[in-house]
Amino acid sequence: MSKRLNVMLLDDEPIVCKRLQPALEKLGFEVDTFTQSVEAMHQIQQTAYDIIITDLKMKEIDGMRFLEEAKKRHPQSEVIVITGFATMETAKQSFQKGVFDFIAKPFKLSEIQEVVTRAAAKLRGGAA
Amino acid sequence: MSVIIVSSDSYEKGRQIADKTAKAVGYKVVDPEILGPVAARYGILEANLRKALEETPSLLGISSKSQSLYLAYIEEATLSRLSGDNVVCHGLGAHLYVLGVSHVFKVRILADPQELQRQLVSAKGVTPEKALKLVKRGESRRKQWSLSAYGKDETDPSLYDMVIRLSEVSPDEAVRTIAETISQGRFKTMTYSVKCMKEKELASKVRAALLDHFPEVRVRADGSTVIVTTKGLKREKRKREEAIKILAGKIQGVKQVEVNVVNDIFRQAAESFR
Repeated sequence: MSKRLNVMLLDDEPIVCKRLQPALEKLGFEVDTFTQSVEAMHQIQQTAYDIIITDLKMKEIDGMRFLEEAKKRHPQSEVIVITGFATMETAKQSFQKGVFDFIAKPFKLSEIQEVVTRAAAKLRGGAA
Repeated sequence: MSVIIVSSDSYEKGRQIADKTAKAVGYKVVDPEILGPVAARYGILEANLRKALEETPSLLGISSKSQSLYLAYIEEATLSRLSGDNVVCHGLGAHLYVLGVSHVFKVRILADPQELQRQLVSAKGVTPEKALKLVKRGESRRKQWSLSAYGKDETDPSLYDMVIRLSEVSPDEAVRTIAETISQGRFKTMTYSVKCMKEKELASKVRAALLDHFPEVRVRADGSTVIVTTKGLKREKRKREEAIKILAGKIQGVKQVEVNVVNDIFRQAAESFR
């Protein structure tokens, strides 16, 4: 039986975490949510997450810096960016830093579920 | 899923590289073969669509209005095909209107001018000097066309992700380079880039539907909302808004239509002199 993949969800809007967490747990993921990027940054120093979903525009540590650090610490983690300020420039920049996908808000729950499922399939395929 | 757009200063070389690349990477080809179905759909001659892609508007040739309309039809048909599977596109001017989408890889192929010169000497029986003049005239004509049709100079290398000179690199080497670049994943899709492409497709459908009635119209899409900007006098504003909303609302995928009617200062000035 394959182990449950763990997901970190970082967004400074609590409603995003509140809606996404059950939607991802329903798919069998273990989900930790964070609304403070500083807290999330401390967490990734200690824990390797299989999948990280992060917002971009946040106070203190912004998403771009966060994802750079996350990929540096855990290169095998798949990072998914979700943002209400999507531009092709930030999408390309994120992609160059190694993100798995880049999604503009607002998005449907089914969209993010599909992307996370693909990320999980890639991780499992790589581990096989 | 990626899109490769091949542009060239020689239609034949562009076609050759596009076809070979598609075969090498297992992609479909989208090329001027689509003009027949597009012409049939809109009840116009295929030859007129080809003119729109080749000729600059002139008194005796294609009019600006017709070129604009026919290019809108071609754009709509092209974009709907680029939203699908892995595709190589050439011969449809897509390098000039598919802009800012990260999973689109744009390549410019520069034919060997000496080879073009030799081909012209052989085909037309002209002197090498005359052939060279014809080559340069052809380049100038294409540049004028792209500036007239899209306000962009298609010979500008900054429009492309890669420029390959066939005077330095063989066609097979060019194909290998393109295939290798695509295989590295630099131009793979993201959810956001797919969304951007679909929005361009939707905007092009609406524009194609409106352009005949509203030649100045500009359209962009944000999700399933289309934002239409047109010119008109104050007294026409409501009528224009209603007409545009009816036409645009009929397009599949459109859920909301916003219309901005910008004051047509030239017409207003002209009317004030009556």
